[in-house]
Parts: sequence; C-alpha cells; structure tokens
Amino acid sequence: MMNRIAEADGMRRGGAERRDVLTDFVRKIHVNRSVGQMAALLVAAFAIFTILRPAVFLGSYNLQVIALAAPEIGILAIAMMVTMLSGGIDLSVVSIANASAITISMTYTAVSSRAGVELANSLALPLVLLGLVVGVAAGAINGLLIAKVGITPILATLGTMQLFNGLELVVTGGRTLYGAPAGLSTLGTTTFLGVPAIFLILVVVAVAIGVLLDRISLGFRIRYQGANAEASRFSGISSTRTLLATYTIVGLLGGIAGVVFLSRNPSASADYGASYTLLVIVIAVLGGTNPYGGRATVLGVVLATLCLQVVASGFTAMRLSSQQYAMAQGVILIGAMVLDYLRGRGSSR
Amino acid sequence: MSTPALRQRRSGLLSRWPGRNNEGYLAALLLLVVAVMSAAAPAFFSLHTFFSVIRGATVPWIFAMGVLLVLVSGGIDVSFPAIAVFSAYSAVALTTARGVDAGLLGNFALAMAIGCLLGLVNGILIARFRLPTLIVTLGTAGFFRGAMITFVGATYIAQLPRSLAEQSTRSVISVNTEAGTTFLHVLVVPVLILTVLIALGLKHTMFGRAAYAIGGDPEAARRVGIPVQRTQVVLYVLVGALAAFGGMVFMIQGQAADPQMLIGIELDTIAAVVLGGASIFGGRGSVLGTVLGVLLVQVINNSLVLVGVPTAWQRATVGLLLLLGVGAQAWAGRRPRRAAPAAVKAPAVKAAA
Repeated sequence: MMNRIAEADGMRRGGAERRDVLTDFVRKIHVNRSVGQMAALLVAAFAIFTILRPAVFLGSYNLQVIALAAPEIGILAIAMMVTMLSGGIDLSVVSIANASAITISMTYTAVSSRAGVELANSLALPLVLLGLVVGVAAGAINGLLIAKVGITPILATLGTMQLFNGLELVVTGGRTLYGAPAGLSTLGTTTFLGVPAIFLILVVVAVAIGVLLDRISLGFRIRYQGANAEASRFSGISSTRTLLATYTIVGLLGGIAGVVFLSRNPSASADYGASYTLLVIVIAVLGGTNPYGGRATVLGVVLATLCLQVVASGFTAMRLSSQQYAMAQGVILIGAMVLDYLRGRGSSR
Repeated sequence: MSTPALRQRRSGLLSRWPGRNNEGYLAALLLLVVAVMSAAAPAFFSLHTFFSVIRGATVPWIFAMGVLLVLVSGGIDVSFPAIAVFSAYSAVALTTARGVDAGLLGNFALAMAIGCLLGLVNGILIARFRLPTLIVTLGTAGFFRGAMITFVGATYIAQLPRSLAEQSTRSVISVNTEAGTTFLHVLVVPVLILTVLIALGLKHTMFGRAAYAIGGDPEAARRVGIPVQRTQVVLYVLVGALAAFGGMVFMIQGQAADPQMLIGIELDTIAAVVLGGASIFGGRGSVLGTVLGVLLVQVINNSLVLVGVPTAWQRATVGLLLLLGVGAQAWAGRRPRRAAPAAVKAPAVKAAA
C-alpha cells in the first residue's frame, strides 16, 4: 500500500518533471521560432531582391546604405523592446534621441562661435557624454512619472513625447540646426573591414542589452515585471526600482541613437524621425516582442530591423516608391501577427 | 449642450461635481484659461475668438469622437488619419477624374462608404484574430496610406468639386462687430448633431452600453451575452465613417485635397481625448469630457498666440497639461487601489458617461 502510494507519488512527480521539461522545451522553441522566423524572412527577402536586381541590390553602395540606415532604427527598436518587455511602451524615445542630438549640436555651435572651431572639435567626447546625460535625464523623468507617480507608461510617454518635442521646438525655433563635432562625422564615415563604425555601435548595444536581459538580475526583474507584475511584486521585487531603471536605460539608448543621428548627418531638428516612433513599434513586435510584456529577444529585434531595411532598400532597387514600402510594412506586420495567432491559437498571448 | 450636462443640472450641479470623469475640473480649467487670457489680452474675449476656436476645433472634435469610441471599448486606433485621407481624397479624386460632381451629400456618402470599408478591415482583424488594436491599426495605417498613393493617386487637387468648394465659405451665423464681420462655419451644425447622437448612443443604446462593457472587461461582457465580436466590428466601421467625415471637413476647410494631409495627428488627438477623462484601458470616458478636452487644447493654442507666446510653446504646454492631468489622476488613485482594489474597481466599471 505504502509502496504503491510512493510509487504513484513518484510517478506523479516524474510526470510533473517531464511536463516541466516539456513546457520549458516548448517555450524555447517558441522564442527560437520567432527568431528563426525573422532569420528566414531576412534570408528570403535578401534572396528575392538579389535574384530580381542582382547588380543594384548586391552593389556595395546598397549594402552600405543598409548598414548605415539600420543602426539608429535598430537602437530605438531595442529601446522600445525593453519597455515592452517590462509591460510598457515608450512613445517618447524618438524625441529623447532628438533632444540628445539637439543638445550636442547647439552646445558645439555655441562653443565654436565663442572659443573657436578647434576647441569645439576637441570637446567631441564630453559633448557626446552631455548628449547621453540628456537622454538619461529624460528617461529618468519617464521613469519617475511611471514608477513613482504611477501614470500608465503609454500616457506618461505620450505626455513627455509632446513635452520634450515641444521644448525642442522652442529651443530650435522649429529650424534645422547644422553643426556637429568633426569627430562624430568621422565616426559616421569610418569603416572597419567594410563594416561602418555606427553599425558596430548597434552590435555593441545589442550585445549589452542581451547580456543585461539574459545574465543580470535587473534583466530578469524587467522580464518578470512584464510577465506578471503582481506576482513579481509578491516575490519581493520592487516594481518602482525596476521601472525606474528600465526607463532610465531606455533614455540612455535614446541618447545613443541621438549621437548616431548626428554622426550620419551633422544636423539636428525637433522633427527628425517623425515616423520612427510607429516604425520602431512595428519592428519590436515583428521581432517577436510580446506587446503585453514578458517576452522578447534582442536578436529577434535586430533581425527584424535588418529585414525591414533590406525590404526598404530592395524596394528602392526595384524603383518602387516609399509608399509601396509602407504598404509592404503593414502587410508584413499584420501577416506576422495573424500567422502567430493561427499557429499558437489559445496557447499564449 | 449634451445630455450628461443636462442630467447633472437636474440632479443638482454641486452634488455631482466634478462629474464621473472629472468633467467639472476640466470645465473649471477651461474657464480659468479663458479668464486669465481675457485679463492678459482684452482682445481675446470676443465672439471672433470664440468662432475661430470652434472653427479650429471642428476637425479635431470629429476625430476625437472616433477615438473616444475606440478608447471606451478598450482599444487604441492610430489609423483614423489614414482612413480620413484615403476616404476623402479618393471620393474627390474618383469623381473629379470622371468630370462629375456627386453633389454635397453624394461626396460625403461616397467618402463615408469608403471609410466604413476601411473600418471594416480594422474591425475584422481586431475582432476575428484578437490582435492588439494598436498593432493592427499601425499596420493598416501604413497600408491604407500606401495603397491610396499607389492605386488612387498622389497628386494635389487644388480645385475641389463645386458642391464642396462652395461650402468652405458658407456660414450659419454671421455677426457684425466693430472689428468686422465674424462667421460661424456651417459645418459646425452636422458636427454638433453627430456629437449629440454619439452621446445618446453611448448612453442609451445597447450598442453603447456594450462598448463600455467590452472596454471594462471583454470576458465579463461575453459572459453576460454581449456579442463582443459583432460589437467591435460595428464600432470600427462607425469609427471609419467618422474618420471619413472628419477628412471631408478638413478638406473643405483647407479648400484642397492633399494626399499628404493629416500626417502625425493621431497621438495629439488621443492626448486630447485622454485629457478629457477617457481611460486608455477602456470602459471610461464621456462625450462631454472629450469635447472639453478638445476645446481646452484649442483655446490654449489660440490664446498663446494672442498673448504673444511663440507658437512653438503650444506643444510643450499641451504635453505638460496632459502630464499634470493624468498625473493627478494616477496620484489620487494610487493609495486606495493598494488598500482595497475591489472598492476602486467597482465604480470604474460603472463610471460611464
């Protein structure tokens, strides 16, 4: 009798264990699937345009364009992904990037007109740091509003988006500012073994955020916050500190994106990248980020960025308009979501 | 004046203040802004300013009604500017290309039929596949704009059909003042009628109550027998028609059909509606609050210019106001929610216009 109970108990435990292994495995496939899906889509898009327009599409100029245009969007998309992972969203991230770029450009111009161009150019590093500080400060404001005051992320960042963007309009007078440290422009044109330096910035950011999310306790706290805020609070995780850290990091990423803006083009304005906010949401979701929080991979988002850039430049190589690209974007996004729904019906949301 | 306001007066204005969605605070703030501006710039307090505020608010007002319907049902729609442009531009482009003038009603009917179709696409994707509304409308917004430029046309139409063009200068009231004659535009009339209809529909029809219920909790709505999918589809079709109407009014006011018009207004409109007390989580929001929110934004935009503040400050001011509004709400709801979640949840579901 006792034996049988023990046996049943053991079986039950074994069953539970097996089920855990199974769910774990399924979960892994699930994450891998969206990364795999993106990789397949990227390869397919690349192959299609290579076959259709090999001369133009495979030209080194076209590949350079992809590698130069992808970083700023990729960094912003990773920032968006981190906020979505925590169950939120950041509509202000593009205006944060512009705030960083505008601060650097204005300070540079002020210094060079008062103390000479040489001094201003020699201050490239401190100016970049200044831009990053602006990004961190703006992100911290978001964090305070969300974590301390308790405003919903989408509303808090909708408000700060208007506030930051409005202040940028005031400061710039609605004009485009010209001028950036020479070092930044050099950065924008430097290549290592044919790979643009600013593309390497994207790689570094992606690796850093990947390590943060998969290896460091803060990353797990961000993930738990998005997966189940209540449960994570009951396990003793302070959601205030997690959210504050999340949005501050996202502010830093916005600041970095602003530096990339300036290295590509030595000009800054409040209106730059007006369509980026919605674009980076599209990319984050395409890259397998669950918009309800709790699930996302950096690799998926980077692949999605590259995929959309390949499609964009492929459309250009095919002489299709940016409007047709916008249509393709919508179809890809909704198609991917519908496919996800049809495959995983009821299993996960 | 819409029904909730009348209701409030009947049952004692003070006892119901500030209203279920803080409409009272908003109205007080609006009056305060008007008072301060009138003191700072005497020219502000005039019929002319009032009419120009109304004129400027007409298009945001219509879009805000559509956004309100979506927010109440628990969604977010960023595709309404695309639908507005697609429907209004296509209606005009299709008729002018054939050299016919469908007439005022014909043009509006054509545009709104197109708007209904585009709204149906949103509604089916959202209701059938249960996809997040923000993501679906992001996708369809890009698709609609791209499809219009690709298949309908991309040229700027400077000459509207006569039936539409003559509306742009028609007024319903014209008053002679010492500063000259001032007009109230005729398109205010259909907008007011639509507003009253939406207010009544949200408050007194099954459809309106179903929208609130779905926004409060879709699962609970389904269990009490509300046809969630059908209600959602009808709702997005309606919102599509409203967007088309707004697009037509915008075109008539601007006296041209520009395929690049109305870019980037989606988040500003959502901000005005949220300022008006609608909850981004659904289940809460009123027509009166929304109208007050839109008017407040418009008055601020108008008055800043008059008192000599550069227009550049408009955006920052509205952003700050939005943060203060939602911040105050969040701060007030913070402590009780921790102490007794049920006590706060219950009125939130009931708190409909």
